[in-house]
Formats: sequence, C-alpha cells, structure tokens
Amino acid sequence: MDTIIQQLFNAAQLGAVYALIALGYSMVYGIIRLINFAHGDIFMLGGFIGLLLTTRFGWMPFYLLLPLAMLLTALVGVTIERVAYRRLRNAQRMSVVITTLGVGIFLENLVRLTVGPETRQIPAGLPSAPVVWLQQHLGAFVTWDKLLIILISLALMAILWLVVNRTLIGTAMRAVADNKDAVPLMGVNLNLVIAVTFAIGSALAAAGGIFYGQAYSIDPYMGIDLGWKAFIAAVIGGIGSIEGAVLGSFLLAGVEVITVAYLSSNLKNGIAFGLLILLLLVWPWGIMGKPTLKKV
Amino acid sequence: MKLRTLALLPLLVLAGCKPTAKELKIGVSAPTTGSISATGQSAKNAIALVQDEINAGGGVQVGDKQVKVRFILEDDEDKPESTATVFQKLINQDKVLAIVGSYTSKCSNAGAPIAEASGIPVVSPWSTNPNVTKGRKFIFRACFIDPFQGRVVAQFATSKLKAKTGAVLYDVASDYNKGIAEVFRDEFTKMGGKIVGFETYNTKDTDFSAQLTKIKGSNPEVLFLPNYFNEVPLQIQQARKLGLTAVMLGGDGWDNPELVKLGGKVMDGNYFSNHYSPDIDNPVAKGFIAKYKARFGLVPDAAAALTYDSANLILKAVATAGKADSKAIRDALAATVGFQGVTGNITYGGGGDPVKGAVVIKVEDGKFVFDSAVNP
Repeated sequence: MDTIIQQLFNAAQLGAVYALIALGYSMVYGIIRLINFAHGDIFMLGGFIGLLLTTRFGWMPFYLLLPLAMLLTALVGVTIERVAYRRLRNAQRMSVVITTLGVGIFLENLVRLTVGPETRQIPAGLPSAPVVWLQQHLGAFVTWDKLLIILISLALMAILWLVVNRTLIGTAMRAVADNKDAVPLMGVNLNLVIAVTFAIGSALAAAGGIFYGQAYSIDPYMGIDLGWKAFIAAVIGGIGSIEGAVLGSFLLAGVEVITVAYLSSNLKNGIAFGLLILLLLVWPWGIMGKPTLKKV
Repeated sequence: MKLRTLALLPLLVLAGCKPTAKELKIGVSAPTTGSISATGQSAKNAIALVQDEINAGGGVQVGDKQVKVRFILEDDEDKPESTATVFQKLINQDKVLAIVGSYTSKCSNAGAPIAEASGIPVVSPWSTNPNVTKGRKFIFRACFIDPFQGRVVAQFATSKLKAKTGAVLYDVASDYNKGIAEVFRDEFTKMGGKIVGFETYNTKDTDFSAQLTKIKGSNPEVLFLPNYFNEVPLQIQQARKLGLTAVMLGGDGWDNPELVKLGGKVMDGNYFSNHYSPDIDNPVAKGFIAKYKARFGLVPDAAAALTYDSANLILKAVATAGKADSKAIRDALAATVGFQGVTGNITYGGGGDPVKGAVVIKVEDGKFVFDSAVNP
C-alpha cells in the first residue's frame, strides 16, 4: 500500500511542528518550572511574522526569511519574559501561570486587530513539486515542501541538542535546571540563562509557525489548540526533557494519523488522547521524564 | 426599550384611528445594521424595487379593485431577540398582512413562533435550516433547504460529470456540513455511484492530510467538501499536494469572495451548488438584474434575488386569495405552483419548503461562472 508511506510522511510533518512547539514548553519548564501557556501564541505570532515578511519583502528567499522571523520572534519571547514574567519569578506559582494566560490572550487579540481574523496561508517559499524519487521507488506522492519541513525541523532539533549539550550556555542551562538557587552563587548570570532559554524556545516555535503556515494555514487563534497538543506531547515525553518533547510529539502525531488512516477520523482525538492517558498511567513522569523529589 | 415603546404609542393610536383599507401593508424584517448589514442592504434594495414595480402598475389586484402596497422594513440587527421585537411590532402595531424575513436561520427561528401564533404568513428569503419551517403552518421560505443541496450535487456528479466513485470530507461538528454530507452520500449511492470514502474532521482543524491520504488510496472521481469558504481552499490545496486528482464539489458555503482570495489557482475547475447566479439564463432574472444594476449600480447577490422572490410570492398570493386576509394569503401561498422567480421556479409541495431548482457554479480563473441549473 503506497498510502502507508504517505501517511508516515503526514505524521512526520505534523510531529515535526508539534516538536518545535513542545521544545519551548519543555525547556522553559525544565529551567524555571514554569508552564508558559503563552507559548502556543508565540508559535502563532511566529507564523504571522513569517507571513508579514513574505508579503512585505517578497524577494526574500526562504533561507533568509526563516532565520529572520525566528530572530524577531525570539526578541518578542525575551521581551515578554523581561516585562511580564521576571518580576513574578519568586511570586506564588499561580500568579505567573495566570500571567502567561493573559499574555497569550493579549497576543491573540493583537494579531486579530492588526492583521485580521481571517485564515491565511504563507505564500509558498518552498517548492511544492512532488519528490520524483519517492514516487518512482516507493509509489508515495510526497511534495518537496513536506520533505524539507521535516528535514529542516530535524536539523533545528539537532542544533538545539548540540547547543544544550556541547556549549557553555548549554551547560549553564542544564545547571540552572538542576539547581536554580545554587547556580547564581557560582557567578552565572541567571537572568541571561533564562532569557536565552526563552529566545531559543520562541525561535523554534516561530519556525514551527512558519512551517505550519506553509503546510496548512494560520489564524490568530491557532495557538490555543496546537499549543495544547504540543503541551500534551511535552508531558507525554516527560516535561523538562528535550528528547522527551521530540519523542512525545512524533508519538502523538503518529497516533493521530494512524487512527484516521486505519480506524476512523471520527475517533481521532478520542483514541489519541485515550492512549496518551494510558501512557501516563504507565509512566507518570512521561516517557523520558525524571521523578522530581521534593527537598525538605 | 421602555422609551421605544412609548415613542411608538402615538403611532399605535394613529393606526387605530385611521382605517387603512386603501393600502396593503407587508412587513420586512432584515438585518440592515450589524455584522451582516450587507445582506440587509440587499434586502432593502430588492424590497424598494418590488414596491415601485407593483405600485407603478396601480398596485396589487385584490378582488375587483387595485390596492397600493406599502412595505414596512424594520432592522432586526441579525439578533434573535431583536427579531422577536420586530415581528411583534410588525404584527401588533403595524397590522401587516404578511412578513418577508428574517434572514439568518437563528433569527427566523426567533420570529417564526410569533407569526405562527398570530396567524401571519411569513416568507423567509434566506434561512436554509430545515427547522425554520418544521411543524409550522404559516412559515414559508424562498430558498431551498440545506439537505437539498446534497441531492443537487449528487445529481450533478452522477449525470453531468458521469462520476462512478465519490468521497466526502466534512466537518462533523457543524449541522450544516453534516446534513449535506449525509444526504449526498445517500443520494449519490441511490443514483448508482459508489461512496469510497466518508471522512470527518472537527471545526478549527487545519491538517486534513491523514483523511485526504486515506481518500486518495480509494481514488475517487469526485470529492465532496460541503464546508465553508475559509476551510475549503486549504482542503483542496492539501489534497492536490497529496496527489489527489478528483474534481472538488461543494455547497453554498463556498459562495464568498474569500474562497478565491485564499485558494487562488487551486480553486479553478471545481463546482459548487448555489441559490442563484447573476449570469443565469432566465428572463425574470435578467429583467431583475438589469433593473437592480441600473438603480443601485450593483450586481444583485443571492440575498437580493431571494428577497425579490419572497416579496413577489406574497403579492401573488394576495392576488390569488382575492382578499386582504392573512389566512387566505397563507392558503394561497401553500398552493403556489410554478411561480417564476429570479432564483427559479417555486412550488410548495404541502409544507413551507419550496420544490425548486438550484444552480451549479464553476470556479474559472478565480471567477464564479454559471455552469448549469439543476431541477428536482
């Protein structure tokens, strides 16, 4: 069956976008134990920044546009952290969670008012011709943009892994994740580490938003649903774990696509989330998550 | 509210004092303000045209004398609660014989029970939800109902496109989409076609690739997408990117300029059913379109055309009844056979839903072009 391979590509593309969002949830949670509910809307904003860049600067090639949009969205992410979250870092947990919800609603309405509520697509920056090799050898009709979205996403995840595991700032991030209170005593600038985390998370979400706008569509409220899906993927994988976020995302997308392909599209969310609840019963901390012990 | 009622009191007194046998009053409830005020404006234009036409000829023939007609138009703001107020005002204060309106189904459903209880016949131009007329004796409509479109498209697919296999992808969370999809499935099968895929999604979903890939596996000749104009172009785009070559079909949910704005080239060569098309070959429609264009400088939309037909249906029923009596007008309306309107021939087969044709529109070079008329 040629459609099996095509379905795998569908799942990979969806999973790649989930992963780009889920990483931001997971990294921020890993470092400051904050669930940033505005993150889905950062993803949306990234898509709209990509849309504005393509419509204003039509000459800009995709390989320039993508990093630029990622940079701009990273700046927005850092600004939000500086303005809205930093002062609340030591406040009670609930206050800052409510603030993240508020920031999300603010971003949705900002985009709705400035760009409009309509569904839009980011004009094709990637070629949409079918990949001939896949068609001839596997009988699968897969377009280049789908393949490239999957490959670029995987490359971004690989770069992230290298940054976190092989650089100084990455070491600092892991140190903060390990013990937020001890790290500043070693002379590490805690604010800088947190800002960098928000920047990386927002930039990855922006890439996800642009890919989503190319492959599917964008609208000011898309961050709500997709944000939830990615958040759930991060929890399944083990929130706080980078590898877990990626694994959880591809797993969620895979289950969704397979349910539609071989069971029923009516049951998509029911089966996907039912299975995920079962997974959490087996691994309460997520597949790659570590149980956190409360220090007394 | 109180103030408004007070302000209307003198009118009530005046209306009570002056017998109005010289003039026949028909109410209109239309959303001339609010989110769909463009529809209300179309209604207002069409009503002005009908009133001038009938009065230029001396009025409507009632029994042995001619009586001038006055349409009383009230704004229902596309809100059910305002529609209820408007219906009450038209019936109790203006003492209208019949009402044209309202437009969206939610408003018609708010106004209809009031008219039904007072025994005032209503013709809604634009409310396609089946419930509007269900179980009601005095409520009619000039448009077809949602499930009918499913049949129209099935007929078009099997007889005009000669399709043997078809598939459906629809929003399972919306009554409109679901209703049309199920009727299409049943009718297409009855007409000898085979449904090889029947897939769903939920409102706000944007990734349809898993469903479309599954549909591609069964290789249908037509794919029916009875969804709204903001989703359809994305569905077609994703389908084409997955190598699906089927002809795409849809319903009146496609009828909006956004469809082509969002979809661009990918929309070309696909078809959808609609109430009416400005380039339809029908003498009544041609006359109406010419007059409308000359007076308002616009091509009339489906709402304008249906309003024109609704008002004329009532006027014809008054003439047939031969007396200015709501009950008699209702009976004459129910007995309407072969009324020639802008939007096709209208016959009421017992209930308030007309037996009438639809048009199929083809998208060509980003434009909506009349393709064919389908009669039941």
